[in-house]
Amino acid sequence: MSIKDNVYYKTFLKEPWPYAVGAVLLGLLNISMLISTGDAWGVTSHFATWAAWIYQSIGGQPEAWLYFQEKGNAAELANGFLKDMQSLSDIGVIFGALLATLLASQFRVKKIKSWKQVAGAIIGGLLMGYGARLSFGCNIGTLFSGVASMSLHGWVYWVFIFIGAWIGGKILLRYLI
Amino acid sequence: MIEQRLDCLGEACPVPLIKAKKKLSNMKSGEVLIIKVDHSCAMNNIPEWANKEGYHVNIKEVDLGLWEIYLIKTK
Amino acid sequence: MDEPKHLFHYTFWKVKIMTEIKTSINIKTNKKRDNQIFIGIALLVAIIGIGFFIGNHQPKSALLWGLGTAAGFILQRSRFCFAASLRDPLLTGGVSLTKAVVIAIATASVGFAAFQYLAAVKGSVIPGNIDPVGIHTVVGAVLFGIGMVIAGGCASGTLMRVGEGSLMQMITLVFFIIGSLWGAKNFGWWSINFMPKQGVFLPDVFGWPLAIAIHFTLLLAIFILADWFGSKKNNEEG
Repeated sequence: MSIKDNVYYKTFLKEPWPYAVGAVLLGLLNISMLISTGDAWGVTSHFATWAAWIYQSIGGQPEAWLYFQEKGNAAELANGFLKDMQSLSDIGVIFGALLATLLASQFRVKKIKSWKQVAGAIIGGLLMGYGARLSFGCNIGTLFSGVASMSLHGWVYWVFIFIGAWIGGKILLRYLI
Repeated sequence: MIEQRLDCLGEACPVPLIKAKKKLSNMKSGEVLIIKVDHSCAMNNIPEWANKEGYHVNIKEVDLGLWEIYLIKTK
Repeated sequence: MDEPKHLFHYTFWKVKIMTEIKTSINIKTNKKRDNQIFIGIALLVAIIGIGFFIGNHQPKSALLWGLGTAAGFILQRSRFCFAASLRDPLLTGGVSLTKAVVIAIATASVGFAAFQYLAAVKGSVIPGNIDPVGIHTVVGAVLFGIGMVIAGGCASGTLMRVGEGSLMQMITLVFFIIGSLWGAKNFGWWSINFMPKQGVFLPDVFGWPLAIAIHFTLLLAIFILADWFGSKKNNEEG
């Protein structure tokens, strides 16, 4: 019997887990992150740091911006890649997903189908990048970690991102399908 | 049995589900819709929706990371 | 081997309202290429190796590398999607991810609150993401909400799908990073004009017992509301 027919392989590595299992595990993971590193899970602030490193390398001076003068951000920018442990968690997400996909034998390069998709990816990416800086994080940093931290900004974010998603849905149906 | 096909390769959520819904609404009872997807979330949310609607669903993994979802319109 | 038409190998989804299980997965791949499990195992070894390598220089970085990898693994395995939790109720009527996100937040809240309470008792800075709230939060959230729907995934979703091999999400990631730089550049203007200095920590406003009560009551209310909305939608359509 090959491993592909093994019932445990199917349950743990092939079949999708129930959402609730993922939810509890992610909750525990975020707690581990807060306790072991002192910071709750966040994703997007590291994108800003990556961009700033690239911008610096082509001669820009993002360190002059107010954003990078805030204590945490300034340290992250100055530390460089290997010392900036937080952004390793972002790269880890990519590799963790790749690992899960490979172990399930489901890896496939998904090609781009249309120009509408490219437009959606570009505009959507820019909006998310800009928006996340204003709201101090994304669905992870502000919604998941922010609400779990009992911070008002997390709750306000939750209300208004719901409205944003509704507008986005209208745009998607109207222009992108 | 009449079969209709829907190619959703390369489409991200929620596009495959919206397309499937649209297509199914124009189909008659007893017809089969075969949706081809390569988006791992679509092979989760299309069956979930179809189950709620009471349609029969069968998912076939035809290649690595490539699924065909068979939906039988029951009503 | 000829396969029978309705050979259901194992059940896949348990639907609470249904009496019969209607979904099944039929894993019979009709192609030569066997599987990617061994590449996966090689990658696992590499991930652990990189972890030890980083750990020699920066033990805490190795920890984050491990936790990040675990996060990606869990997100992919459970098909977790924060974007869908916010988008699907109104767009497709699906609420299961909305409820799952409430569970995730509630789980995290228990540990966060305990850790924060310890810090408060000791009189140190409260840990967690507590940031200024104002008009900028509203604008940021709405922009982010529009972006994640038209791009097909939020930040964690984009990273996860890059790992799954999506070329489109790679474009999203590149422009996400560019957008972040743009946002960081304009942050100063928003900060000067709209942002208060400090965030609002609910226990500071209501006191600990009441804040915790409000927090978990709201989470429960959202869960029940989502559940009610989901079944209402279903009845309307069905």
